[in-house]
Amino acid sequence: MNKKIVVTILLSAVSGWINGFLGGGGGVLTVMLLLTVFALPQKKAQATAIAIILPVTAVSSLVYMLKNSLPYATLGLAALGVAIGGTFGALLLNKLNGNAVKLIFGLFLIAGGVKMLLAL
Amino acid sequence: MNTNLWALLFGIVGGVAGGMGMGGGTLLVPLLSMLDIEQKIIQAINLLSFLPMSIIAVIIHKKHGLIQGKVLLPCIIPTMIVGTMGALLASSARNNVLRFCFAVYLLAVGVWQTVLSVIAYKKAHLRKQRAMRVIACPTYTQLKAKKRIRRLAV
Repeated sequence: MNKKIVVTILLSAVSGWINGFLGGGGGVLTVMLLLTVFALPQKKAQATAIAIILPVTAVSSLVYMLKNSLPYATLGLAALGVAIGGTFGALLLNKLNGNAVKLIFGLFLIAGGVKMLLAL
Repeated sequence: MNTNLWALLFGIVGGVAGGMGMGGGTLLVPLLSMLDIEQKIIQAINLLSFLPMSIIAVIIHKKHGLIQGKVLLPCIIPTMIVGTMGALLASSARNNVLRFCFAVYLLAVGVWQTVLSVIAYKKAHLRKQRAMRVIACPTYTQLKAKKRIRRLAV
């Protein structure tokens, strides 16, 4: 019982840190936490993770907004793009092999990471 | 092409990734970093642009009964506390520090997900091999046939 609590707090904290300090993501860790410690099925884990990340995303957004002057035009278009893309992604998810998706995205993420390091 | 237009395009790409459950923004941030925008601002854009979609997603998921209410509070509390602290710290951090940290995070998650999928492929492959071997074995199929006949005769 204790171990569960510790792991929950730890993973949630890291997830929150990634959301606040790095501005996004963190959901991956929450999904992992829900799949292992709480043994939720895949779909429930992903759905619940979004719900968990939502409040902290809202608060982080507020902090960033208050502390920086944001380009609202760029922001609006990005948000629009995400809404459009997200709908497609959710529909697509049902049709593709889960593991293939994981592999492709894993590789994309590595490429993204390398690209960002090179851009430093 | 106009920065804002790129933002729309990258938003769509990032959104598809997020919609597939690959974590919001893991593609959006590196894409936006190719444009001339500060890392801090990119992170803010990332957070804010996924907010509306997340809200809609949660509403839909709630309707389908996919949200496990019991785990919400114990997970949200630590996430919120550390998250708020992180957001406050980020505003006083330097942009290249943030970019470096994010890049490391991407590499870590990328490697982790790739490894997981490779393991899953291997498992599936081994399972298939074992199944084929069993089916190819004549004794096995004969045994199964005999059992089936016996069962049907009863």
